[in-house]
Amino acid sequence: MPYTMTEKILARVAGLPAVRAGDEILARPDFVIAYDFPGYTDVFFKEAKEDFGVAHVPSPERFVLFIDHMVPAAAPKEEELHKITRAWGKEQGVPVHEREGIGHQVSAELGYATPGAFAVHFDGHVSQLGAFGTLAIGARKSVLETFVSERMALVVPGTVKIEVTGTVQPGVMARDIFHHLVRVLGPASCRFKVVELCGPVIDAMSIEGRQTICGQAMFLGATTMLIAPDAKTLAHAQGRAKIALDPVYPDAHAHYDQVHRIDISDLAPIVVAPPSPANTRDLSEYAGLEVQMGYLGSCASGRLEDLRVAAEVLKGRRIKPGFQLHVVPTSQAIMSQAASEGLISTLVDAGAFISSSSCDYCYGRIATMTDGQRAVSTGTLNTPGRMGSADSEIFICNAAVVAASALEGCIADPRPYLASVTSVATAQEIPA
Amino acid sequence: MTLPTLHGRAAWVFTEDDFDIDLIVGIKNIKITDINELAAVTMTSYDPDFARSVARGDLLVGGANFGYGHPHYPAMRAMRHLGVAGVIAESFSPGFFRGEISMGFPLITCPGIRAATQRWDRLRVDWERGVVVNQQSGAALPFEPWSSTERATIEAGGFTPYLKARLARERAAAAA
Repeated sequence: MPYTMTEKILARVAGLPAVRAGDEILARPDFVIAYDFPGYTDVFFKEAKEDFGVAHVPSPERFVLFIDHMVPAAAPKEEELHKITRAWGKEQGVPVHEREGIGHQVSAELGYATPGAFAVHFDGHVSQLGAFGTLAIGARKSVLETFVSERMALVVPGTVKIEVTGTVQPGVMARDIFHHLVRVLGPASCRFKVVELCGPVIDAMSIEGRQTICGQAMFLGATTMLIAPDAKTLAHAQGRAKIALDPVYPDAHAHYDQVHRIDISDLAPIVVAPPSPANTRDLSEYAGLEVQMGYLGSCASGRLEDLRVAAEVLKGRRIKPGFQLHVVPTSQAIMSQAASEGLISTLVDAGAFISSSSCDYCYGRIATMTDGQRAVSTGTLNTPGRMGSADSEIFICNAAVVAASALEGCIADPRPYLASVTSVATAQEIPA
Repeated sequence: MTLPTLHGRAAWVFTEDDFDIDLIVGIKNIKITDINELAAVTMTSYDPDFARSVARGDLLVGGANFGYGHPHYPAMRAMRHLGVAGVIAESFSPGFFRGEISMGFPLITCPGIRAATQRWDRLRVDWERGVVVNQQSGAALPFEPWSSTERATIEAGGFTPYLKARLARERAAAAA
């Protein structure tokens, strides 16, 4: 009987010979991943002890915590939360990774993106581990279940297969391809499904580009997204993988709820206009619109290929006076690699403000905008108020567009500044 | 345990697809933690009289993929405080759906409900027949069943009480 990747992974962790989409199962996650955030981890810690009498999480070796929000702390209350997290990790024997970068990226660097593994988090952007063939689900409050018992109840999701074909045009990055999928298929097209992403464009794409696309799965309505591991991802996983597992592949005649083949040959750089991540538009519609702020970072797009393309656009140039360009590498390892490649000095010389890795730019905790301001951003979301005032606007775009817009002070096409970049096609290793 | 009685007026019909529920309180108010303060700003950009006109047991009606985006908890916390008992929508975004079901707040997926409902129509969820009845028009629209965990979570009044009960049962079964 043929099975999808999701059915195979979930059958193993449910301890069953086979499961099918729609089955209700109790599954034992291989990894429980979280970042500390008020109302989430602090509540899980407290409820596990006080409401459930569970002094120690079951199998703590499966757990990992990240301190990547509110870093550095800007108020005693924020630091208090981190203090609680550190203490809990020590008491439970659970590693707490602090100031190493955005957890969704660092967890891949640390080997939690094991091909064939099942991982849970309360945050949905954990789906980016799917770039390595890991089934990673943002389960919100259900994560509490893993703090007090070995297993978690869930319904086996069906799968939508999306095959991406065609030729990637210059200036087009993974980010454009993802938002194009939202435009073509619709923001609700994959509700409650796992997206299995494949096709020649994905085969040729860098690991980083795959992380970018998989991490945004929720904006297709999907529960998560994954890509069958190939030589590139297996090479990355070898030597890092936290547990020994055989990679999992879909069977030839597995059942898919839908199959889409999308040709991106005509795709040019896009912007996602406010107020919703569903609002994919052609960049040309908004070119020339004045912007005051640029944000290049986030779990979606602050990786080396993003920094490299921005440096290519900005090399030997100066950003427009008064424009604020914030560059936030996704992890410390990426920052270090970018420094050794000379990217950081190129960006600084152009007038960019570089910050250590943090989630805080994404939700306006820092680099906050005021009324009437407008940003180009590689962040995850463009809802009004996400980066400050509810009367400010966020245009999501790729890193090259952010850089070009920083030069011109308005939404700008990066292609005139690029020699030949189709960064999507350049396979770059992410740092160890 | 039984499912809650859902029988009330449609206090609002959100006609938009992919509706971002953060807009219910307004993003600038999303960090307000005082529930009275939060309730006071709820829906003010849609209907300044909303808080005064809504009654305990009222329901909300939504479009397709209701709760799209990064749905935060304050919007529905405020709605519950105002007495809203549940949301019936064409369909829900998964993150929002999981989050609110875990709070013990019923979300009913009912294709056709938006077109079939005018504001202030009386709606009744008939659990036995698996339909939402519009008492003004008499229309009865089938809704999609929950998984057993979702159903048990609503019956228990939230994920924490559900899980407590389930684990207690499992322990008792293991001891027997």
